[in-house]
Amino acid sequence: MSDALPILEVRDLKMHFDIGGGLLDRLKISGSGVRIDKPVVHAVNGISFSIRRGEIMALVGESGCGKSTVAKTIARIHQPTQGEIRIDGEDIASYGFAKMLPVRARMQMIFQDPYASLNPRQRVRDIVAEPLLQQTRTAEERKAVPARIEALLAKVGLSVEHGGRYPHQFSGGQRQRIGIARALSVMPGLIIADEPVSALDVSIQAQILNLMMDLRDEFGLAYLFISHDLSVVHHIADTIGVMYLGFLVETAPRDVLFSHPRHPYTRALLSAAPSIKERRDVDEITLNGEVPSALTLPSGCCFRTRCPFAWERCAQERPRLADVGGGQKVACHLVEEPDRDRP
Amino acid sequence: MTVQTQHALLAVRDLRTYFHTFSGTVKAVNGVSFDIGEGEIMGLVGESGGGKSVVGFSILGLIDSPGQIMGGQILLNGEDLVTAGEDRLRQIRGREISMVFQDPMTSLNPLHTVGQQMDEVLRLHSDLDAAARRKACVEMLESVGISRAADRLGAYPHQFSGGMRQRVVIAIAMLAKPRLIIADEPTTALDVTIQSQILKLMRQQIAARGASMILITHDLAVVSEMADHITVLYCGNVVERGRTRDLIETPAHPYTRGLIDSIPDPANRHPRLKQIPGTVPDIRNLPKGCNFRDRCPRAQALCAVEEPQLRPQNASQWAACHYPLQPGDLA
Ligand SMILES: Nc1ncnc2c1ncn2[C@@H]1O[C@H](COP(=O)(O)OP(=O)(O)O)[C@@H](O)[C@H]1O
Ligand SMILES: Nc1ncnc2c1ncn2[C@@H]1O[C@H](COP(=O)(O)OP(=O)(O)O)[C@@H](O)[C@H]1O
Ligand code: SF4
Ligand SMILES: [Mg+2]
Ligand SMILES: [Mg+2]
Repeated sequence: MSDALPILEVRDLKMHFDIGGGLLDRLKISGSGVRIDKPVVHAVNGISFSIRRGEIMALVGESGCGKSTVAKTIARIHQPTQGEIRIDGEDIASYGFAKMLPVRARMQMIFQDPYASLNPRQRVRDIVAEPLLQQTRTAEERKAVPARIEALLAKVGLSVEHGGRYPHQFSGGQRQRIGIARALSVMPGLIIADEPVSALDVSIQAQILNLMMDLRDEFGLAYLFISHDLSVVHHIADTIGVMYLGFLVETAPRDVLFSHPRHPYTRALLSAAPSIKERRDVDEITLNGEVPSALTLPSGCCFRTRCPFAWERCAQERPRLADVGGGQKVACHLVEEPDRDRP
Repeated sequence: MTVQTQHALLAVRDLRTYFHTFSGTVKAVNGVSFDIGEGEIMGLVGESGGGKSVVGFSILGLIDSPGQIMGGQILLNGEDLVTAGEDRLRQIRGREISMVFQDPMTSLNPLHTVGQQMDEVLRLHSDLDAAARRKACVEMLESVGISRAADRLGAYPHQFSGGMRQRVVIAIAMLAKPRLIIADEPTTALDVTIQSQILKLMRQQIAARGASMILITHDLAVVSEMADHITVLYCGNVVERGRTRDLIETPAHPYTRGLIDSIPDPANRHPRLKQIPGTVPDIRNLPKGCNFRDRCPRAQALCAVEEPQLRPQNASQWAACHYPLQPGDLA
């Protein structure tokens, strides 16, 4: 594995869900005859990005914008509608269960609700051991598992005695530690973390974020870190991708994104985020209205229905994610027509 | 006991609300006092389980068995709601005090149209005739930013998005011109751009009507943008209280300091966040002395023996700590 090769590269990923019922439910009789209606949720609409070894990339955006679907599609919980998912260069987009097994030693996932993702009838040590046991082949390897689990529990701040208990005996923060130990068990290079601190109180959130940073430093882990909280994302991420309606509208290194956000949606998000600091005088951009339905995407730019700058071109032509220098990429026609950047 | 404002609309004095459960008595609110003046917004903050919602429900007279208000006073313009009868409380709810919850469907009836639910409030709490009530409802919906208000009166709650539903709830809460609004995590379920719309709306409505508000939330950033003063709860006690900017910039209680430091600060990024060690103790089994001492970096022997009382720190801040932080102390 060369260092130059990204640990994860996603190219033109699409994930659409058919949500029609049976065929009969979908038959619609209209003036022009019978037609078959096929409602499709356009959850992810062609996004591309890559993550290097040891890098933390965050995806932000409001609920329903497709963050979890991206995570689950990369983890191959979903079969992508289109696109490539390369782990260390190997495209896993079409892999079935058997071919995914060795990939799972390189990529693991942790979830927002540690409780829902842990089997309530399993002891913690068995939960943590599960991904590891899937990867062991020989009796020799299996014999080494208990000692390994003990070490893992210690690594995430739990004790050996905790291993014998059940998930319901733990607080939210401790359950997230269990989820992290489990993901860590196979020593993956990449961990996909879907809102791992969103359900936690702020003091516990700080503990878990510190743990995740320590583990990254110690093991050179890469994270795809999903969150809707900009202050958390600013703290943890090296690179940030902003999603809207299943599109990636902007990506940039952390400091660039926070100091020079270019996409109107990114700017609106940053000005809407509450802060304990004394209020800046004016909001740069405030948004009206709400996100349109993923069933019928707007023509042109996904953001145009709420964008204070939108003009005719925005309804006609879909902006592409274009490099604007400094590692920043933006999908907005304002990049080519900066004179229009006046609300 | 607490900061005295010129004219307290609501004065809560030594409120104690307990739940009698099989596994012991949960002293959810255990001696809480604060004042809210006319037109003021008070933020009630703290981690989950601190007793914020139980304070709100106690003021509304909505504590049911196994819960019970064991002591204290809740004085609304001098009238004690703890000893008021259920009829009087029903009169007060909706007319003088109204509420907004995290989940709008807590307050909305899914089987009735928005217009029916709004009309109901006015029939109970005003003597307007049907035409005047309808006009008032349309105006109120417009004022919370719902377009085509007259048409939307006929819509059911499920026909609105989450953010719009919360606007409807705010419209209903404002209809009877209440003096006090209790908003319990009103924007916690909303996305940040919708949250900022709703917060702005609440600020406008409060200011336009001269009402007061208790804003309950776990989110310090939200209260610091909204509130005039803040009360911090920990394990059912007020640990600190003060004017918003003072409390955020120079917190006196180590718990407040810990909460503030746990929030990642984009303007001042450190590789590691300061964290409060440990977890909130079991409220049925609180340690002797200070409830926070097992997690506190400043704790000394006295903290294990004596429960600290809320004491003034300066002209605008009160804290319950034996070793409060002075301006300039880091932890
Ligand atoms: N299994 C599924 N079937 C149908 N629609 C789905 C499914 N999973 C997600 N969606 C839809 O896809 C869109 C994106 O959802 P999601 O990825 O969960 O967003 P986020 O995590 O950003 O909140 C939403 O409109 C959601 O309703
Ligand atoms: N109906 C109830 N029965 C028993 N305990 C309760 C009940 N309602 C609340 N509590 C307890 O009271 C304490 C305070 O709860 P709450 O006011 O909901 O906290 P917050 O709103 O600050 O998160 C918690 O320990 C909670 O478990
Ligand atoms: S492309 Fe147009 S509508 Fe889209 S964000 Fe840019 S200006 Fe707004
Ligand atoms: Mg999600
Ligand atoms: Mg609550």
